[in-house]
Amino acid sequence: MAFHYMLDACLNVLSPLNFLLLVLSVAAGLVMGVLPGLSATMAIALLTGLTYNVGDHQTAIIALLGVYVGAISGGCQSAILLNIPGTPASAATAMDGFPLANEGKGGLAIFIATSVSCLGTMLSVAFVLTLTPILTSFALEFKSWEFFLLSVFGILICGTLTARGNALKGWISGAAGLLVAQIGLDTVDTFPRFSYGNVNVMSGIQLIPVMIGLFGFPEIVMAFKRKTGENVLKLTSFNIREGFRIIGENVIGVVRSAFIGVGIGIIPGVGEDVGGWLSYWAMKASSGNPETFGTGNPKGVVAAETGNNACIGGAIVPVLSLAVPGSAPAAVLLAAFFTHNYRPGPLLMSESPEFVYNVAIYLMFASVAMWLLALGMARLTVRVLTVDKMILMPIIFLLCIIGSYLINYNLFDVKVMCIFGLIGLGMAYMNVPAAPFILGVVLGPMTDSNLRRALRLSDGSFLPMFGSPICAIFLAACIMMILSQTGLFSWLRRRRRNV
Amino acid sequence: MKRIMAVTLAALLASGILPAGDWPSRTINLTVPYGAGGTTDLTARSIANGMAKVLGVNINVINTPGAGGSAGSLNVQNARLDGYTLLANGMLAFATMPLNGYTEKTFREWDIWIATYAPNGIIVPADSPYNTITDLINAIKANPGQITAGTAGAGSGGHFGAEVIKAIAGADYKHITYQGGGPAVTATLAGEVDFCPQLLAEYKDLVIAGKVKALAVLSESDIEIAPGKVIPTILKSYPDAKKFIPMGEVTGILVPKGLPEDILSKLDAAFSSAAREKDFLDFAAVRSFAVMPMGRAESQKFLETFAGRAAYILYDAKAVTIDPAQYGFKRP
Repeated sequence: MAFHYMLDACLNVLSPLNFLLLVLSVAAGLVMGVLPGLSATMAIALLTGLTYNVGDHQTAIIALLGVYVGAISGGCQSAILLNIPGTPASAATAMDGFPLANEGKGGLAIFIATSVSCLGTMLSVAFVLTLTPILTSFALEFKSWEFFLLSVFGILICGTLTARGNALKGWISGAAGLLVAQIGLDTVDTFPRFSYGNVNVMSGIQLIPVMIGLFGFPEIVMAFKRKTGENVLKLTSFNIREGFRIIGENVIGVVRSAFIGVGIGIIPGVGEDVGGWLSYWAMKASSGNPETFGTGNPKGVVAAETGNNACIGGAIVPVLSLAVPGSAPAAVLLAAFFTHNYRPGPLLMSESPEFVYNVAIYLMFASVAMWLLALGMARLTVRVLTVDKMILMPIIFLLCIIGSYLINYNLFDVKVMCIFGLIGLGMAYMNVPAAPFILGVVLGPMTDSNLRRALRLSDGSFLPMFGSPICAIFLAACIMMILSQTGLFSWLRRRRRNV
Repeated sequence: MKRIMAVTLAALLASGILPAGDWPSRTINLTVPYGAGGTTDLTARSIANGMAKVLGVNINVINTPGAGGSAGSLNVQNARLDGYTLLANGMLAFATMPLNGYTEKTFREWDIWIATYAPNGIIVPADSPYNTITDLINAIKANPGQITAGTAGAGSGGHFGAEVIKAIAGADYKHITYQGGGPAVTATLAGEVDFCPQLLAEYKDLVIAGKVKALAVLSESDIEIAPGKVIPTILKSYPDAKKFIPMGEVTGILVPKGLPEDILSKLDAAFSSAAREKDFLDFAAVRSFAVMPMGRAESQKFLETFAGRAAYILYDAKAVTIDPAQYGFKRP
């Protein structure tokens, strides 16, 4: 029966109109992903409106999934080429992708990123098809304490997100991000914090303008500080075989990142961006030479891009089985499914059993289409590196402004982008990394609201924090993380060597 | 090249500046102050589709989430009043906006067409010890402030539902708030909270599948969500609750007062035709919304009672500090 549904889905996607739409929507997703400010969430939301009146619901679903895969994957290109992540999901990709591009290996980095993106999506879809019931119950294991500890763990990672291993600067940056996340209506008591009666501030500081500002401004200003001529990067051609060799050497890393990505994807409310970061950290932690990360280690790109794309499958699991979205783009996708008369949730398997298989097959096709299109597109985009940055950067600046505006059609977000741009400049001068700041902004609301919710549930007692296996694992991981980053482990290692 | 194309496209999307003529001569923007795909958004899109057919122009839905729907509502309130900027909103948040101090204009200064009513439904986890609404309310009476309710936050549809339960029980519940209705429902599934008083439409399928138990709806009559699966009205067990019922979200189309009468009558016609469209009725049936189209005068009359009830529930729960009497809201 399952096979029959899958075959149907294949035939469906291969019909000329649907196939054309798949290619177009993946391409549109890629473009949205590449452009800073236009995120996957927005791409799907825009398309939801556009497909509202599409008569054939399958066609609409194909287009929506295509744009999802495209947008999550497209972000890596601007992260690698410009050090400005196209979407929050590829912020971790910039860590090693941009240094690679500076060495002239931009093409290689994009090839690797795109290929593992495709692999990540495929692997996650395999999980969807085989493990949905188990994964669903995993999602429901996450209550307030688990969410809180997960986000604490995420924040502790900040220390490792610095190129030269200065954990303190990473933590400072992360803590600053956490504070910024507290601005606006708090999610527990709806109390306006630091809003000074301004309705815009009350809505909170949006992640995307902060990200564009922090990453974008330093690059734009830097371009004008250099002398003419220094701004043009050389572009060395690369061998596809070398790209495959690097991926082949990292099969374990790819699988590990896919596991992490699927896991993070499933957990409601934690999305693609965190998936990328955690995979990146796991890759760095398990590598023999963590000091090379952040300076152009292809492994970093492999982990980040597999991790964020694997979230796609993970995030769709609870959408299909419980009608609970696993990430922000998945939330919009869920809405789109409703718009097209599908009712994801517990009744899905009895009402439209073919739907799960349709989604899986469409995602597979979308990821292959994404691979081919993104590599084709990269041939054009890598040329961006050969453009004098004094000409390129003003254009990027304009895109940053438009991208910030389009999030809510609100000029306030443009101002936020500019303010955080100036903060980003200051941070760049002081060598404080911007990545942990972003992670702080992402995880801030989750940390704050879950801790307070958990304490309210337990009447102020911290005891339930030790009450579940997942909590215990996270607690242990947090302690390990603190010990390793304060240099205790390396101190022990050195002592043993001396003895 | 791709970049240039995308920029042009974005610019076109962002600009709605085209010459004006006889209304409607160009695309109408319908602002939904919540994210795409939520209850308000889907209702708005469904209605907008029907209205666009009658008006003969496109209706473009714009989602501007933020500040519990106030940001988008205020955008429309401050926009040029030319009939090309409309608002779709739920009346719970909209009618109580002045009490939050966001604006001094009440619903009386808007022309409103009400389309749907979605009742609150009280659910508990599948393994909950409570099997009837009486079990739950007795438990709240026996353990004041101990029974947890998961809602989408202060002022959300769920909060109103929980406050009605509190009024019936005469004892407080423990309010646990989540970042939206979805997470609140997930927490109920996971058994983190004792009950969830959000809108029935948000978990209809979970009830049918038996993943959660539905104890009562806060509507005037029973609701059959699937053949043979009837959820009783709370009035069956607590007839005295009459003054709080019906409670739930009421959604409609709004525009600030002051449009010329010929535009308004065109909107009247478009709305009443849209509310009878088969697509719209089907959509409402799937989600268990009651379709109760009301014209401008009727909506105002309905809102006088409804807004008073909602306003005093919030005020009594100390969720707002501005006295509803200041705006002439009547206590139920």
